[in-house]
Formats: sequence, C-alpha cells, structure tokens
Amino acid sequence: MAAEVVAAVDVMTVEQIAASQMGMKALGAGIAVGLTGIGSGVAEMGIGSAAVGAVAENKDMFGLALLFTVIPETIVIFGLVVALLLLFV
Amino acid sequence: MLKPKQMSRLLIAASRDQMAPVIAELYRHNLFHIEEYVDVGAEGYEGFKIGTPLSGASEKSADLIKIRAITNAISLSADDVEKGPSCSMDELQARIERELPLLEREVEELTVRRSKLDAREKELEQKIHELTPFSDIPVDLNLYHGYKRFTTIAGYVSRDFVLSVPHEKYLSQGKEKRFLVMVYPSDRKSEVEKTLQEAGFQSVPVPNESGSARGRIEFYQGEITATRKEILEISTQLEDVKKKHAGFLVACEELLKAEVDQSEAPLRFATTKQTFVAEGWVPADKVRDVTNSLTHVTEGKIFITVVPIDPEQDSVPVEYDNPDFARPTQVLMDVYSRPRYTEVDPTLMVSIVFPIFFGLIVGDVGYGLIFLAMAFGLRKFLKGEAGGQMLAVLRNASISTIIFGFIYSEFLGFAIPGWKPLLYSRHLMAEEGGHGPNIPELMVLSIWIGIVHLTLGRILGMYNHATQDHGHHRTLAVMANFGWLAVMWGIILAIWSSAAIPLMPDLRGLPVLWTVPGLGFGVTIGHVVGIVLLLVGIICIARENFLEVIELPTIVSHVLSYARLVAVGLSGVAIAMVVNYMTFDMFINPALANFTILSIIGILAGIVVFVFGHLLNIALSILGGGLHSIRLHYVEFFTKFYKGGGIRYNPFGIKRRFTEE
Repeated sequence: MAAEVVAAVDVMTVEQIAASQMGMKALGAGIAVGLTGIGSGVAEMGIGSAAVGAVAENKDMFGLALLFTVIPETIVIFGLVVALLLLFV
Repeated sequence: MLKPKQMSRLLIAASRDQMAPVIAELYRHNLFHIEEYVDVGAEGYEGFKIGTPLSGASEKSADLIKIRAITNAISLSADDVEKGPSCSMDELQARIERELPLLEREVEELTVRRSKLDAREKELEQKIHELTPFSDIPVDLNLYHGYKRFTTIAGYVSRDFVLSVPHEKYLSQGKEKRFLVMVYPSDRKSEVEKTLQEAGFQSVPVPNESGSARGRIEFYQGEITATRKEILEISTQLEDVKKKHAGFLVACEELLKAEVDQSEAPLRFATTKQTFVAEGWVPADKVRDVTNSLTHVTEGKIFITVVPIDPEQDSVPVEYDNPDFARPTQVLMDVYSRPRYTEVDPTLMVSIVFPIFFGLIVGDVGYGLIFLAMAFGLRKFLKGEAGGQMLAVLRNASISTIIFGFIYSEFLGFAIPGWKPLLYSRHLMAEEGGHGPNIPELMVLSIWIGIVHLTLGRILGMYNHATQDHGHHRTLAVMANFGWLAVMWGIILAIWSSAAIPLMPDLRGLPVLWTVPGLGFGVTIGHVVGIVLLLVGIICIARENFLEVIELPTIVSHVLSYARLVAVGLSGVAIAMVVNYMTFDMFINPALANFTILSIIGILAGIVVFVFGHLLNIALSILGGGLHSIRLHYVEFFTKFYKGGGIRYNPFGIKRRFTEE
C-alpha cells in the first residue's frame, strides 16, 4: 500500500503538483467560507428570532432589528476575505 | 451643519382672553415646540394649574371621531389623496355641517349591512360544515328528529363495535375516523354510552333540517354565493363614496384635527384664574418672527421673553440643520437615534460616505441604472415622508454605483467593451491582455478607508467629550479617546516597520537600533515609536476605565471589518459572472452553434436564468450594499463618538395640505 503511494507520488509531474496545490487552495477557500457561514448562521439564528418578535410587537423596530440581525455577518465576511486571499493572492 | 439647529426657549404670558388668538397664531407658525406644564400637585400648593380646553372642544372631537370612523370604514388615508385644490375654512365648515351627517349615515348603513352579511356568510359556512358528514347517509334529515322513545346520535368512532341493545346504525367506511349515525331506545342509554365510550366516540350535533343533506348543502351554497354578491355590491358602493368624497373627507379631517389640537392646547399650558403661561422652544432665527406676530395679534397685550438655557440640563428638542442634499439621510439617522442637542450631528458625513460605500460595494453601471429607475419608479407607491427620503437615499446611492461601475468597468457583471478599469479591476476572470482582479490592492484600499473613517470617528469623540464634559472627567475622557487612536496607530506603525504591504508605507528601511539575538530581527525606530504609542494609549484608556482594556482587540476587528467593502462587492461580482456564464456558455452559445428547433428551448432557458439570476443579485446587492454600508456607520463609526437620544423637535401645528388658513 505504502509502496503504491510512493510510486504514485514519484510519477507526479510538476503540472500535477501545481494542480493539486491549486485544488488544496480551493478546498481551503471553500472550508473558510463554509464554516464561517455556519458560524454566522448560528449567531443570526437567535438574533433573528428575537428581532422578528420585536418587530411583531412594534413595526418601528424594523430598521434596528434588521441591523442587529446582520451584525454577525462579519464572521462570514472574514471567511470570504480569507477565501479571496487564498485564491487570488 | 454638523450641529443641530440653535433653539431658544420662549416664555409667553398673557391674560386668558388672549389665549385663543395666541394659540391660533402659534399653530399657524408651526414653530413652537410646547414644553408641557407638569402640575406638581403638592398639598397646599396654590399657584399655576393645568389649563382647560377652549370652548367647543368636545363637539369638534366628536366630529373628528365621526370622520375617522368614515375614513376607516372606506380605508382612506391622507397619503392616498393627491393634493388637490384646497378649500377655504368657512366653505369647509359649512359643508361639514351640511354634508357630514348625511355622509355618516350613508357609510354607517353600508358598513352595518356589510357586517351583517359577513356574519350571515360565516353562519352559512358553519351549516355546510355541519351537514357535510351527513351527505353520504341515504336518510332524509326529517327522520333524525321527533321521537319520544328513541334517541338519535351522530359522531365519529375510531373502530366498529358490537352492541347488545337493539339499534339501527350507519357507519361510514374509513380507517381511523368513521362517521356513525345511530338510533337506539332512550331507556337503554347507559349501556349504549358505555360501549360508545370504549369505541372512542366523539359526538357531532345533528342538524335541525329537513330534506336530503346534499340538497341542503347545495341550497346553502347558493345562499353564500348570493351573500357574497351582495357584499361585493356594498364594497363597490363604499368605493364609490371613497372616490366621490375622498377630497372632502381628508380636508375635513385636517381642518378638524387642527381645531381639536388648538382647542386642547391649554391642557399643556400653566394657567391661573386670569392669566396663562406657555413655555416652549423656537429655532433661534425665528424668535423675532414669532414674537412680532404674537404682539401684533394681541395688540401688545402679551409678555414674551427668551429664557436663558442650560443645554445639558434642559431637554432641548433637536431639529436637524442640513443642506438639501443631506436631508434624506436624516431618515437613516432617525433609525439609529436622533443626535443630542450638544453633540456633533454626523448626518452630513453619513450622507457623503454612505453612497460612496454603497458604490464601492455594488459598483456596476447596469445595476446602478436599475436602482435609479427603482428610486424614481417607486415614488408612486411609497408616499409617506420617510418613504420619499429612503428613495432619495437610494437615488444618491445609485448615482454613486454608476460612477464606481465606470471605475471598475462593469455592466451587469460584464466588462464594458473597450473600457479599461480606471483604478483597480474586480473582473474575476482575466480578460485578454488584461489583468486579473487586483484583490490585494482593493483589500488594502478598504483597510485604508477603515483607518481614516475610524480616526475621524475618534477625533469627533475627543471633540464631543471636550465640549460636553466638565472637570477631571473631561480630561480623562478626551485622553481615553486619544488613547484608542494611539493604540491603533501604534499597531499600524509596528506593522509597517515589520512587513511590506502594497499601497502602504514601507518603514523597514529605517535605521536598526538593536537586533534581536538569534532571530536576526532588527528593531527600528518605527517599532519603538509604535510600541510607545501603544503603551501610552493603553495607559490613557485604562485611566478612564480599566475594564475598557479588554475591548482592545476590537481595534483590529473594526479596521478589518471594512474589508467587507471589497468582499461583499466581489461576491456580488461572482454571482453576476456565474449567471452570465450559465446564460451564454451553457445555454445560448451551444444552442446557436448548432441550431435546431430544440435550440429555442435552450435559448429560452438561458434567458430565464439570466433574468432570475440578475434579479436575485439585485436584491442581494440592495441588501448587501445598503445594510453593510449603514452597518459600518452604526457599528464601527458611531460607537466611537455618537450617543444620540435627543428629543424630536415637534412643533405645535401641521403642514396644511388640503385646507387654507
């Protein structure tokens, strides 16, 4: 088994290595956006439900409620920044 | 600009017989923010009392309630009515006396009839609901009633059962709920009930009808149709009333509201047996106008004086003082909180920076044009004042979007042909001979914007504390704000001295003072200055409030937060590019390359993807561009200096739309 892997690595050309590195970067970018997206979602869940309640009580709260709901968006923005840096820098 | 309007506190005193003309004059000016008189109510207090309404207040209130009942019944609001020819007060007064009772009777009759019919419809529906289970049973409804020795029951059982009592039953087919109708001798009730209970019986009332159940249901359905038709007729009649009298009704409401407001104003004044005193706020530049006209209407029998104010103790109402183009942005300020009288009013800054942020994020000529069309097209639907202001904000943002669209060279996600991006490109796919996206440069640019914005915020914070606070606390608060600035710039200097970043100064070339042994890391004068600033800053912050020190990491996160200006924008660009790629490279181009009848489906699918994809992206752009831009203001910028919580300036009077003086 181990010998096969070594053999496989041996026959990889430079292009293949570059491509696999690119693939790793793409995976990293995907994980960065995906996990931070989940994080933002979890954080917005509680705020969002409370905000809907507040708006149902008083419609004037809508602006502030919407604003509070997007505050955790920062987390996924950081993920997006990391992904962009991985892919393009 | 940058400060709310200057206010003066007016004290008006006159004899009671001048009350009506004074109130009318104040109402006409629509400038006097009444400071309500609060009765102390202490025992044995013999001084000012709260005033009593002017004569005729209750009749006018009653009329106003009538008008509001009518406008509610025909769901009419003043915003729905175009400003028409306004009528004079006397004419309107005469029409109110003549027409209002008739109109009231007409509308009331119609609404009463409509609610009766609504109730009738509900009743009929209930009857149909009751009859439905019986429709499968081939027994005339007459036969369920009129027995002396027998009882009829109906209901649902969960399963079939065996009964020792002589009976006749009908059981519908079904698995879980089976409908049962049964007749049994009344004297064997207890046995029957026991068995039924075991079978999980749920009783249903037997309808008191005659004839076949199906026939009755059809009959009631016919009745419902007729009732609905009648309701529709009444609704059209009400609609006719609305069309015919809308102008009159809104004018009446405005007139009566003005009269009720005026006749109830004394409730907010301080009075004695012979005199009254009204206190309130007037913009400083209008004091002379108000004073002159009040003196004029009372022929000088009035005492008016400007009372000196203490801006920190008095609850001074706040009115914005902004140039025309910044005025719509006030709606965004009011969503957060109105500024206090003593602090800097940042509306002007928001009105300039918000559209720039929006443009930086969306930056697409095509989307900008669509937003512009929306800002003008939605005017017809969003009528209130806040709605109009929102649309004006959208208009400014869309103009900025178009400008940044040219800077980025983007049109609905495509590059504008023959037009190179002016500064930096956001095209994710490098075009021929072109450059890929300049992501590092864009990121650093957004960080620069963050640094400048936050520095401005902290400087404003220092200014606000310097003007609002007193004594030792003032020094501490100003120094704490300076401390936050020092820590931020200290970190920035240390980073510049350690690493080269595009578009930022490179301080690595400064003379090395000391080399860390083993690491080969040279400490330059930049590092030293940076670290000194950092330490001084932390000391300044800790002196005001030690716990604030745990907030230090927010300096980094708030600056980095401005990276969203690029990141959110790029995600929008990516969505647009994916939509364009799907439309052309996956559907339309392959279809055109090998054209057959089936290709038409491909082309249509491409068009659908294009329209829906861009609609989605437009919605996301408005949400993303708008929310993230305003969030950068509310969360990152305002927290540095802005408190808010000012009292809204609410002058006594109305803007007349339908009536004349």
